[in-house]
Amino acid sequence: MLSDHDGPSMALVVRKDLKLSTGKLAVQCSHAAVSCSLQAKKSEARIFERWNNGGARKICLSVKDEESLRVLMGQAKSAGLITNLVKDAGHTEIPPGTITVLGIGPAPRRIIDLLVGELKPY
Amino acid sequence: MGLRSFIHRLTAPKSFDSVPNGSFKLVLVINHDLKMGKGKIAAQSGHASVSATLKMGASKPNLLDAWLTSGQKKVCVKATQDELLKLEKDAVKLGIQTVRVNDAGKTQIPSGSLTVIAFGPAQDGELEQLTGHLKLL
Repeated sequence: MLSDHDGPSMALVVRKDLKLSTGKLAVQCSHAAVSCSLQAKKSEARIFERWNNGGARKICLSVKDEESLRVLMGQAKSAGLITNLVKDAGHTEIPPGTITVLGIGPAPRRIIDLLVGELKPY
Repeated sequence: MGLRSFIHRLTAPKSFDSVPNGSFKLVLVINHDLKMGKGKIAAQSGHASVSATLKMGASKPNLLDAWLTSGQKKVCVKATQDELLKLEKDAVKLGIQTVRVNDAGKTQIPSGSLTVIAFGPAQDGELEQLTGHLKLL
């Protein structure tokens, strides 16, 4: 378990069942990261600054399917965290509208760990 | 609005130039000399994208908006470290924004390694010239 005084963190949670290629995965995670950051910059400027100045920590994790991703999003939302669900435009590899990645945070590391501490790194 | 800020608005140089037409993208070029895992690559690309977004927001907000509203298109390709450094120089000549990501080295690779360079957001055509020959990841 990580300590409290560590800076804020962002979690990028990916669906494992889609078997995305590395490049596709990177792009989808980037979408989530950018959208979450912009949202945080507007609505939670203080935590955003702390996160951005402290190395903008990001972790990439996996869940088994869309259902688990939605459950996780519900939990994150009820904890009052910033979330962003990425839907693919479907130009390549997968059908349009497929949900690929959930971005959570930036939020205090303690809360992120509580939410996603059990998940496996991708 | 106060008088001073009114005068400032009249006399200040435009903080951004007008946005050219066409479609825009951000190209993420991964350093393929490093042996990074998939998740690592994804996180590093995330760093690059966020930094590129914030940097563009400060310098050319119009261009950033054009990119964001057209679906923030991103492409991820790979190159060797030497190629990456050369591309960076070429991009600067073409006036394309670049952002380097050096890893903190907490996992997988040595601290300070160059992991990704983000090119853009810029017009599709300009980036195509620069990175069109690189392989997808």
